[in-house]
Amino acid sequence: MQLLQFFRVGKITATNIASAIFVILAASSFVVQLAQADDDTLRVRIGSDVGVLDPARIFGIENQTVAGHVYNGLVKYDQATNKVVPDLATEWSVAADGKSYTFKLRSGVKWHKGYGQLTADDVKFSLDRVLDPKTKSRYAGQLAGVKGVEAIDKLTVKIMLEKPNAGLLNKLTAFNQGWIVSRKAVTKIGDKKYQMNPIGTGPFVFEKWRPGNEVSVVANKDYFGGAPKISGVVFKLIKDETAAAIALENGEIDIFFALQQPVIIDRLRKSKKVTVLDRAANHTINLVMNMTKKPLGNLKVRQAIAYGINRDGLINGYFKGTKAMGHSVLTSSFPEFSEDVPQYPYNPEKAKKLLKAANVGDFTLELVTVGLSPYDQLIVPVANDLNKIGIKTKITVLERGAYLQARTKGDIMTCLTGVVGPPDPDSPLVTLYATKSYPPGLNTSRYKKADDLLAKAASEQNSAKRTDIYRQILKQTMADVPVLPLYADQLFIAHSNEVKGFVQNSLFTMQSYSVSLNR
Amino acid sequence: MVKYLARRLFLMGITVIGMVTVVFFLIRLIPGDPAEYMLGDYATKENLAALRAELGLNLPIYKQYLRFTQRAFTGDLGNSVVTGQPAMDEVIESLPWSAALALGGIVIAIIIGVPLGVISAVRQGSWTDLSVMLIALAGISFPVFWVGLVGILIFAHEIPLFPALGATSSGNVLRQLHHLALPALVLGSSVAAYIARLTRSAMLEVLSQEYVRVARAMGIPESRVVYRLALRNALIPVLAVIGVTFAWSLGSAILVEAVFSRPGLGSMILKAIFARDYQLVQAGVMVLSLAVVLINTSLDIVYGLVDPRVRAG
Repeated sequence: MQLLQFFRVGKITATNIASAIFVILAASSFVVQLAQADDDTLRVRIGSDVGVLDPARIFGIENQTVAGHVYNGLVKYDQATNKVVPDLATEWSVAADGKSYTFKLRSGVKWHKGYGQLTADDVKFSLDRVLDPKTKSRYAGQLAGVKGVEAIDKLTVKIMLEKPNAGLLNKLTAFNQGWIVSRKAVTKIGDKKYQMNPIGTGPFVFEKWRPGNEVSVVANKDYFGGAPKISGVVFKLIKDETAAAIALENGEIDIFFALQQPVIIDRLRKSKKVTVLDRAANHTINLVMNMTKKPLGNLKVRQAIAYGINRDGLINGYFKGTKAMGHSVLTSSFPEFSEDVPQYPYNPEKAKKLLKAANVGDFTLELVTVGLSPYDQLIVPVANDLNKIGIKTKITVLERGAYLQARTKGDIMTCLTGVVGPPDPDSPLVTLYATKSYPPGLNTSRYKKADDLLAKAASEQNSAKRTDIYRQILKQTMADVPVLPLYADQLFIAHSNEVKGFVQNSLFTMQSYSVSLNR
Repeated sequence: MVKYLARRLFLMGITVIGMVTVVFFLIRLIPGDPAEYMLGDYATKENLAALRAELGLNLPIYKQYLRFTQRAFTGDLGNSVVTGQPAMDEVIESLPWSAALALGGIVIAIIIGVPLGVISAVRQGSWTDLSVMLIALAGISFPVFWVGLVGILIFAHEIPLFPALGATSSGNVLRQLHHLALPALVLGSSVAAYIARLTRSAMLEVLSQEYVRVARAMGIPESRVVYRLALRNALIPVLAVIGVTFAWSLGSAILVEAVFSRPGLGSMILKAIFARDYQLVQAGVMVLSLAVVLINTSLDIVYGLVDPRVRAG
């Protein structure tokens, strides 16, 4: 009845307005209290849910970020410089013949949740586990060439190789297969359950995963490097970048991880409460051309495509300058990076001439990519540029599962593929150019000419000479252009000004150990 | 009544089995391979083959189905391909989130929708009626994710009344409600539009009936005529729609969940579909369809209790 009266009368009176304003004000003060952070727990936005925290099976930047808080490796990349530095191993030596590595472990390192102390046997267990076909580890190939692992005493471990591999340390860094697990923990918890119940030695102890919502870790008071300055980290799943930006500005989160959209980057840069960091990533986005498909076997056609795509336009137009030129598949974050490679500045006239000289007649180039941002969008300007030099194009955007299947089958003409990994030159080079990387794998261009040089680099112990060989590979592959890097990725992370001491890495992950909060 | 009940429950069982069977085959029709998803860019042939064997993907599809149904009857819906954890665990974890959102949405929808419908029916043809119906039309036409984004921009950014995130792990009930408010309001307003339109037409029909005219002629106060005599009768079809929309909002909440970064069954199933996590999709759909069927069945039973004609039919 009252209700009826209210709606019947429904006059806007001063009293009504005043009471409405009062209610809103009262609500907002209440709300401000509710939104305040509880304590010195760091709140980080992640864009996808986690689900695999077992180093042998882990994939995805969110999983790797959380795992990076929980685990250590024998060695690790320095967050700032990407140099390989000690982690669980304090020192190591290489045998004169280059066929074995001996590591001395830090003593007194404790496993989380009472699983005892770290021993050489745990290291043996971790590496053997990745290599064991029964584990079905996606990284077994990364440790290929490891003949055996031996625990010499409690704190000494020896890794034997079939032939010298100068890149071994890169494979043992604290990332994916390099993270060390506890024999006791994995055996006791069981393989399946272990995936979401990780036990490490790192600065944070895994606490709880709430599917679709968040995952939390708490500070490890016993950490060998000293306890973290924050009480823990909550990784909150926020898919939408606009919502994440608002949450950051409102103080609902402290760090915006995996910031990507140029518009949001622009907007956050203008905010006074927020700091936006950027850094060159170990990540390129590439147009991979299948040389077994006509006319892509013809070098002139591939060069024409390279000259015909306006990559500067893509970087400065579509990406508003938030990406960098891809000179080769190694970005400037790799020590082996070099600009001294064949370059393909935008030159549509030259592209047309090359096409004419190639004399391959009319053809339609199928551009295939996955239906995920930014691939499904940047494929349009690429096609547009190619049309301008007289190449007809057909755009095929596939859902991820379908795309992976098509790529493995290998009869697609091209694909737009990102390559991301640690700052280990083998990571993009072997993945894209080695014959063993197909099928399955990413060498869908079927490039065959890099195997010898890759093997030579692996056996070269002298690091300067080794770098030279990698640069030779870059020169050669950019001359043959089976793969055209469209751009080199930049990583963006934003954090509130309450966050102090944060160091951004180039790994596409983030680490909170150095962070303190000034709330 | 017992016979009626038995029939409803039997139909319910058939529906759920049917749903799960359809989903079982549909998801396997989509191109893509869970083993490839799991092992990624560095996969080797041997590893792919071994994982497919472990997941039973190398078996003929009818054998996979038999294996699945046998296990399902013992309550084992398998482990998630991606996380290795029991699929049911993740479903159970997301269920309360979805239920809270759907319930919150429906409550708000009723609070907004029913009075609006009544007002515009009572004032049929007036400006009030026209504007209410226009708003309702807008509510139906605007996609819920758009309303959600605008809601965040206005009520979390410009006037920061609510958090931008639709979920918190805090145990504090007030906090949880605070996080739920905006998503529920967004979902509720889209459902409210339906309810308002439906209430209006039901009310109009009832208001034109003889007994209402008689009541008015007898001098019974108008408010009593509208709320006691007309609304009660008009509410029966409205209740039916509320039942259906509740089920519908469980599923459609997926867009709201996505916009507000809220966990729930919808977003869980979506994630599982992208990962070709067959077990998780099956478990999620099974529970979702069970919930929908349960709600509808219990509504049917309530009708049966209220209206003998339904029981006979």
